[in-house]
Amino acid sequence: MLDALDKELLKTVADLESIPKGAYNIRKNGKLLGREVSANIDIESNAEGTGIVITIKPGTKDESVHIPVILSQAGLHDVVYNTFIVGEDADVTIIAGCGIHCGGSAPEGHEGIHEFRIGRNARLKYVEKHVALGEGKGKRTLNPTTNVYLDENAYAEMELSQLGGVDEARRVNTAELGPGSAILITERVMTDGDQRAESKNELILQGEDSKANIVSRSVVKGDSKQDFFVNLEARAKCYGHIECDAIIMDNGISETVPALKALHPDAALTHEASIGKIANDQLMKLMSLGLTYDESVNRIIQGFLK
Amino acid sequence: MIELKNVRFSVPADESNDGGGPTKTIINDVSFTFEKGKFYGITGPNGGGKTTLSKLIMGINPVTSGSITLDGQDISDMSITDRARAGIAYGFQNSARFKGTTFRDLLSIAAGTDDEAALTRIIAGLGICSLDFLDKPVDTKLSGGEIKKIELATIIARNPKVAIYDEPDTGIDLWTIGPMVEVLKREQKEKGTTTIVVSHNRTFLEAADEILMIRDGRIAYSGGLDGALPILEDLSACSFGDLCEGETDVRCFR
Ligand SMILES: Nc1ncnc2c1ncn2[C@@H]1O[C@H](COP(=O)(O)OP(=O)(O)OP(=O)(O)O)[C@@H](O)[C@H]1O
Ligand SMILES: [Mg+2]
Repeated sequence: MLDALDKELLKTVADLESIPKGAYNIRKNGKLLGREVSANIDIESNAEGTGIVITIKPGTKDESVHIPVILSQAGLHDVVYNTFIVGEDADVTIIAGCGIHCGGSAPEGHEGIHEFRIGRNARLKYVEKHVALGEGKGKRTLNPTTNVYLDENAYAEMELSQLGGVDEARRVNTAELGPGSAILITERVMTDGDQRAESKNELILQGEDSKANIVSRSVVKGDSKQDFFVNLEARAKCYGHIECDAIIMDNGISETVPALKALHPDAALTHEASIGKIANDQLMKLMSLGLTYDESVNRIIQGFLK
Repeated sequence: MIELKNVRFSVPADESNDGGGPTKTIINDVSFTFEKGKFYGITGPNGGGKTTLSKLIMGINPVTSGSITLDGQDISDMSITDRARAGIAYGFQNSARFKGTTFRDLLSIAAGTDDEAALTRIIAGLGICSLDFLDKPVDTKLSGGEIKKIELATIIARNPKVAIYDEPDTGIDLWTIGPMVEVLKREQKEKGTTTIVVSHNRTFLEAADEILMIRDGRIAYSGGLDGALPILEDLSACSFGDLCEGETDVRCFR
């Protein structure tokens, strides 16, 4: 059922060697390839037939769900709407990701619109990797959206990465935080050639003592361009931090626009941003340990995106 | 053995002109031979040229004229990488800070292995007992003393023929300096490492077989510590009188 190409894509986006254990839903070229539910995790197609609804029972602990999407059909632009309902007190990991293999000159694309409803005291770790492989010249587009709603004391950790091959990406992340809830978003993006990547983030700290931390690491190579926007809006006594770092190589262009809005007197919001070439002293240090210039650049970037 | 012959390093006097125009000489005609397996202490006033000279040996600064040889081979035109591979190591006075690179990463690059047991052995020999320390990011959050220990560990892990430590003691607590000197002495004795330590600290200078004093880009003195002491004391007298007192009625109270 899985051919060699599928396996390669699954390995890169979801670290899967074969069909995973536990609950999963694998989508290939816009169709369902396989699905498994578990006692605590249910997966159903939504009423409109445009995606899936994943429901995690309250109190579910240490379980994971894999929901990779693979695309290898020229000319296909796949759009899905997925909803994740994480029950109270649950503690789960969701591994998503999209791999495109482009063999021809027709464009291929995927748009995953994901909504997360995280119940009281629940913890979610969401890992999403995007890659595109293949020799084809067709334009590969990935436009993911994640909308997160955190109930009281809920916690979400989102690791979003796009590490190569994607020609155009427009990402939208939004989050609304209830009292005592917290979110940590880490985005890692590497672009090269003529690639474009844009990320727009809107976080609203609605509840008292909510916390948001958004970290962006980007490497901009070749003639590529990356733009990163964050809007952090505080409507209660809360804490928010934005950290964006970009390494520019060759003729890369990067725009970073962090915005902080404190609409409450007890809001504490901070941001740090830096854009620049790899620091010379870092290169000198690694070369003096015996690495060549190119090896040093690679090691620094690997660490930066790790 | 490292031999410097009439080594000179100059930079354009005015930052904006490169090539042509007036130059400023930072290292001025330095000739010196560092013998294999000996322990050298380099000292001298701030801005004298100690770091610049060390970086000339590592290849971070290119020599303007003159030559540097390692065991008879001219390395003046070799890259930093090739000099590192030939057995030279330099511990920076101001260490680089990274984002996402850990002590383990640097140490395994330096040692050429990521074998846990090998790395543990290296840091245990340095009196760093906490294994958690290996996974510390080498970023701006590290304290001044921690970064110096990391810098030192990466040099020792290279097992170099010639080890140059540029002020390894700054930020290190007084109780750690003694053991640090012991570690460098042990490396020198057991492995025959030619050891060059740039320092203002007496403990390091006392451990050295020979002292080099660098002032105004030249070797102002070389020899035993006894001969160096009068010059060092002379240097500690304030030379900023004019600058500090100014032209109005400010007076020095020293
Ligand atoms: N690339 C350079 N361009 C211009 N000036 C330089 C350069 N490198 C060093 N200098 C200058 O040369 C002088 C010697 O600097 P160096 O860092 O070698 O001194 P040092 O003896 O190590 O001092 P310290 O004890 O403060 O570490 C200083 O005045 C410094 O500003
Ligand atoms: Mg110096």
